[in-house]
Order: sequence, then C-alpha cells, then structure tokens
Amino acid sequence: MQSIMNPLLGAVIFSLIFCTSAMAGDLDSFKGDKGELAIAGGTAHIPVMKEAARRIMTANPEIRISIAGGGSGAGVKQAGEGLVDIGNSGRKPSDEEIAKYGLHLFKWAIDGVAIIVNPGNKVRALSQEQVKDIFAGRISNWKKVGGVDKQINLYSRDEASSTREVFWKTALQEREIVANVNIIASQGAMKATVSQDPFGIGYISAGFIDESVAAVAFDGVMPSQQTVKEGKYAITRGLYSNTKGEPVGLTKKFLEYLFTVEGQQIVAEQGFIPVQ
Amino acid sequence: MIRGCERAVERLFFGAAFISALITISIFGFMFVFGLPLFSGGRFPEIMTRPWAPHLGVFGIYPMIAGTFAVSLLAMVFAFPLSMGCAVLISVTGQGRLSRLLRRTVEIMTGMPTVIYGFVGIFLLIPLVRGIFGSGSGMCVLSAALVLAVLVSPTMILLFCDSFERVPPSYGHAALAAGATKIQRFLHVTLPCAGQGIIIAFTLSLGRAIGDTLIALMLAGNGVQVPASLFDSVRTLTAHIALVFAADHDSLEFRAIFVCGMSLYLLTAILSLLARRAGSKRRQQ
Amino acid sequence: MMRFLEKVLPLFSWLCGAVLVAAISSVTGYLLFKGLRGVNLGLLFGTTDPVAALMLRQQVFDGLFPAMVGTLSLVLMSVGWAIPIGIAAGIYLAEYARGRTKMIFNLLFDILAGLPSVIIGLFGFSLTLFLNRHVSEALRPCLLISSIALAFLVLPYIIRTTQLAFESLPVQSRMTARALGASRLQNIVHVLLPQAFPGISSGVILAIGRCAEDTIVIMLTGVVASAGVPRSLLSPYEALPFYIYYISSQYGDQQELARGYSAAILLLIICLFLFSLAFLIKKGARYRTLYRP
Repeated sequence: MQSIMNPLLGAVIFSLIFCTSAMAGDLDSFKGDKGELAIAGGTAHIPVMKEAARRIMTANPEIRISIAGGGSGAGVKQAGEGLVDIGNSGRKPSDEEIAKYGLHLFKWAIDGVAIIVNPGNKVRALSQEQVKDIFAGRISNWKKVGGVDKQINLYSRDEASSTREVFWKTALQEREIVANVNIIASQGAMKATVSQDPFGIGYISAGFIDESVAAVAFDGVMPSQQTVKEGKYAITRGLYSNTKGEPVGLTKKFLEYLFTVEGQQIVAEQGFIPVQ
Repeated sequence: MIRGCERAVERLFFGAAFISALITISIFGFMFVFGLPLFSGGRFPEIMTRPWAPHLGVFGIYPMIAGTFAVSLLAMVFAFPLSMGCAVLISVTGQGRLSRLLRRTVEIMTGMPTVIYGFVGIFLLIPLVRGIFGSGSGMCVLSAALVLAVLVSPTMILLFCDSFERVPPSYGHAALAAGATKIQRFLHVTLPCAGQGIIIAFTLSLGRAIGDTLIALMLAGNGVQVPASLFDSVRTLTAHIALVFAADHDSLEFRAIFVCGMSLYLLTAILSLLARRAGSKRRQQ
Repeated sequence: MMRFLEKVLPLFSWLCGAVLVAAISSVTGYLLFKGLRGVNLGLLFGTTDPVAALMLRQQVFDGLFPAMVGTLSLVLMSVGWAIPIGIAAGIYLAEYARGRTKMIFNLLFDILAGLPSVIIGLFGFSLTLFLNRHVSEALRPCLLISSIALAFLVLPYIIRTTQLAFESLPVQSRMTARALGASRLQNIVHVLLPQAFPGISSGVILAIGRCAEDTIVIMLTGVVASAGVPRSLLSPYEALPFYIYYISSQYGDQQELARGYSAAILLLIICLFLFSLAFLIKKGARYRTLYRP
C-alpha cells in the first residue's frame, strides 16, 4: 500500500506545485483586493462561475463571490436593475435590453444545446422533423421513433431560460410546444430529471452532458465539443456575462480572469468551447 | 410620573400591534399596486379566465388557478379521512399508551421541514408513481397531492382531537350510562357536537394546502395546463410565483404574478375568516 | 348506516394510523438509510481544516459550513426582529385591547398567520425592488431583507402564543397584585410575564424552527447557491433548507446527492429537536397558534 501511495502522492504534490506556479500569474490581479461580487442568471454558466470563484477566493480569502441561478432572463434583468453585478445569459441580450439598461456584453464561451434521453433508451438519433413532432405532441410514443412501446415524457425549461429560447428557435423553428410538458428550472435539474426518467426527453447545455444521460444526434450530428466548434452541430449559442455599464473594480477583474489562459481552461474543462 | 410611564408603555404595546397589523395590510397593498397595470382597462376577467402564453402577450392565470385547486382539493380528499381516522384512533379506539405514542408522533410530525418531504418525494415517490402507473413522468397532480396530504395531516389530526376534547364530558357520560359503547358515544354524541371544530380544522388545512409552494414546485411538474387527469403535470399559483418572479420587472409577465399573489391572499384570508366564524359559533354553543 | 359505521370505524382508524406511521417512517427511514453514513465532520467542512474554517481564515467550498452559518444568522436576526414586536403586540391584545379594536387586530393577525409563505417572500422581493430604486442602490436581496421578511412570517406565532399565555393565566394572579396597589404595568411585568414565560418561550422556539425550515421566503429574498460565509447584513448568503432544495434538483454527481441526504438529516434533527423542546415546554403549542378558539 505504502509503495503505491507514495509515488501517487508525489505526483499529486508535483502537479499541485506545478499548477500553482504556472497559474499564479492569472490570479495576481486579485492580490490585495477585497469586496463582494454578486453573480446571477444562466444556469449553464454556474459550474464555470463556481470554479472561477473558488480559485479566486482561495487565492484571496478577502473576496466574496456569490452565485445564484434564475435563468438567463433573470440574469439580464437583475444585472440591468442593479440587483447583481454580473448577469449571465445563454443568449445575446436583445438590442432593446442592451439599450434600455446600457449593458456591456462579454462572450466567453460557445455552447451547444443537446437533446438528451435516459441512457437506458435505445433511441440515439432524431431528425429535426421528429424532434418538432415530439415536442408538439404529435409523436407521443417512443415506438414511432424506433424505441420501446412507451409514452414519451417531455421536459422543457421555464420562460427565463435561454436554452429554451435557442432550442425553440433553432430546433423547433418556433413551433408550439405542447401543454402537457414538465417545466424544469435549471440545467442541472434537467440532467438529474432525465437521468431518473427512463422514458423522458429534454434538452440541455452540451457542456452538462455526462454518463448519467445520453445525447441524441440531431439530423445525424452528435453534439460534442468538436462538432460544435466546427459548426457542424446546428443548435449552438454563446455564453455571455453582462454588466450594467462599463465594468469596474472587482467585476472587471473577474471578467478579465475569464479570458485569461487559466479562465479559458476552466471553460474547456467544464465542457464548453473557449472563445480564444 | 408613574402614570405617564404607564401611558407611554401602553402606547408602545399598541404601536407594536399596530405595526404588525400594518404589515398585513401593506402586503395586500403591495400586491395591488404592483398588479395594477393588469387591472386597468377591464382586463381583470381576461386574466382570470385565459391561458398563460407570454410569447403571445397573453398573461392569463386560469391554468394556475385550476392547478392550485386540483392539487389542494385532492390533497384534502386524502388528508381528511386519514386525519379523521388517526384522530379517532388517538381519542376513541386506541388504548392508553399506544394512543399517547401516536399523539406524540403526530405532534413531532408538525415540525417536519417541508423541503424534506419534497426531497424524499422526488427520489422515492416520483419513481414509484411512474413505475406503478406506467405512463407519464411521475411529476403530477397525484404525487404532489399525496405528499401534501402527509404534510397537512398532523395539524389536522391535532385540531380534530382538540375539537373532540372540547365536547363537554357530561354529554358523553349520559350516553355511556344509557349503555352505549365508546364508539357509539363518539358517533352519536361527540362527532355531532364537534361540527364547528371539524370545519375549523378543514378550512385551516385547506388554506395550508393552497398556500404551500415547495411541494408543488418540486413534485407537480409545473406544466401550464388545466389538468385532465391525475397524472397530468400542473403548475400552482404559488409555484408560478416562484418560477416567474425573476422576470423583467416592468413586463406584464412580472405584474401577473402579483395578480396570483392577490388571488392567493384573498383565498387564504377568506379561509381564515371562515375558520374564525366557525370558532365564534362554537363559543356560542 | 350508523350500524355499519360502528362496525367499520375501529378498523378504519387503525388503518389510518398505520398509513400515517408508514408514511412518516418511510420518509425518515429512507433519509437515514441514504444519508446517515455521510453525517460527519467532513459534511460541514469538506476538505478544509475545521479550525481554520471556524476562525473564518479559510473558506469552505465543499461543505455545509457556510449554509449552517447562513441559517444560524438568519434565525437569530429574524427572531430578533419578531420577539420584541410580537411579545408587545401579544401583551397589548391580551391586556389592553378591548371590543372593536381587539376584534380588528385579531382578524388581521389571523389573516397574517394564514398567508402563504410565497406571498411573504414576494412582498420581501418587491420591497427590495422598491428600496433599491428609491432609497439606495446598495440594497439588494440579502441577509437583512430575508430576515425581515422571515420576521413577518413568524410574527403571528409569537403574538398568538404570547396572547394565549397571558389570557390563560388564572384570575387570581391578575387580581392579587392589583389589589395590593400595583399598577397595571407593574402587574404585567412582575406578576404576569414571569408566569406566561413558558408559553411565550415555546412560541419563540416554534418561530426559530419555522425560520430554520423555511425555503420559499429566502428563495425570493436573497439566498444563493454559493456565497461562502456572509460578510455583512447586506450580503447574499447560503442556507441549509435551500441547499437541500438546490441539491434535490441539480446535483452534479452521486457524491453531491449523498451530501444532500446528509444535509436533510441535519435539518431534520435541528427542527425535530426544536419542536420537541417547544412541546415539552408547552403542550399543544403549535396548532393552537393557528387560530383563536
């Protein structure tokens, strides 16, 4: 046991030292800073925000960063109303919103919106027409798309969600979604719910996909970092952080950090496509 | 001097009561003022009767009203007989130690955090409902109503027991003397005399079921539709508020949740009044 | 019909008792089965050194410590607001108010007690919007706003238990001191208040339990998924019940979910302890606060 542990421990310590020395530079700007930063909005952004906040707060315990969900709609509005410093959205805020609140936008990642089913479900590919029919309620049984003879349980997102908006516009081409659909309030909740429901179908930020759910090819293309990056996968969107007016102080430093090598590395680790 | 101090303290006490009363009124005031844009121009009936389709500019809350009643009334359908049975077990049919133990359990149950019922509901009940009934996601009227029934039952049981105990024992003695069994005494004497107490218990519990947010939010599925079956996903007024409160603060969408809030306020206030009236009737008896 | 009822009633009552006991034991049993293993010091502090965390030298990222601190400060503050106002209002209602005034106050407090928590939360949220726009930009959803909103939620509990405690005192204790020349206020402070103390304290404990348990009010007024230990009254914060709610819907992996189960056990223990305490002090405290007999 001892002999196995030691080299392992050595490797961990080595990589820790290596990482901290390599990355200390990007966190340097927070030195001697103190204060609070409130972030809210898009739920796809949360893992990246959490990891960035964790690193910043570990390097400088005087800084407090709070992170809330609420959806992109809430992110844009709350930032605009001055209730938070940074409002995240999984879509570009509308021109109207930008003008009304004087928003500044920071797009730090590209993301796909993937259609997901339970891993136990054999259906792994759907055409756009099939997806439209499923969400319109015209196809209500998995049998019709090559699955088992079971009713399809639909999961969609709330109105504040930009994932819903992007999915509705691109995949459903603005067709009506049937009323008998369960409404889920966040990315994480969508993943958790579909992973529990053997006959469910939903859609989620591609960065959130793991082994607990199975992605479905959309018109023959599987969503992945590769296909999204190359533009082959059709349903994509940018991940934005928005501020009211020009960001200053801690807000500015936080946003700058997202664009550093380390920041963009976090973005990639969480399954999104860095912009740089 | 002492007299002046007495007056001052009395004013202070009055001030505290007044502030508390003012809060009650200003909550209603806020709901009304924020919801005002939707009331103007005779749009009120439209809001109460139309569906919710913000992308079409329609902000009706009718599906949510239907959802609220579906979930809370079904919960009462489960909870009322269950609570009555348990109350009877505690005060009539149960034996000494066992009935005391059950009573203690019920008392403790009133302190169960709602979020725990919701948490266990998601991981235990939802897959069960989905598995047993075969179709649907399991997030539906039935799941929410079942958990809600367990949530409101303890208080209802204690209120029932309380109303049985209020019936003067002399009534019962007469029945026992006439050769009635304990069960006969309960059915023929105690139950008819406890009528107002039962009404109080029912209205207060219904108010609680209507006002609960978390269970419906976590277990009812939140789909916007008038439910046609027990297995349909529904959204209650309370869950609707929790889901939409972060919308654009100038939009009609945001204003609509204050109409939800006002409807809930009025609904629960009416139930509180009914319970009060039953209470004063009972005193007169 | 009655005959039939007489026959069936015992069986029915036993059945109901069994169903209720089965329901509650499956809830608690399931939680204990899933989460008991995770209840340890690591649950609170994660990989952080407990001492460093307690001294606030290091922040805890994968433990419940910030949520516990958030809930604790929330409870202390809300009850801190509600106690003086609630007790004073309760005393006024029991000892001073008469006739019409008393009736109107009673009515309003009944309504307040019956209001759904989501309405209190929405009120707190709109109050924040109002203050943010018209008073100060620095006012955002935060610990302060949440604690005030929660105080509104538990105010009726404290008013009612105080009122009930005073009104149920025997007539002699009301009369004796007065007959000996004590003023009304002296009588209240020196004679009645000490006797009513158990009743009032059970109300306060119930209020604490309600504050610790509430999820909806704080969801609308300032609780967030991740914030660390709150720095000031104007900071967003984490709280235990919201953590459980949050995990239930968006756990990232099984480890996180397991932490949710353990957090639920923790909250369950806290609330059951408080309620048992309140019941021990004063039997039947809670359900009587809901209405005036």
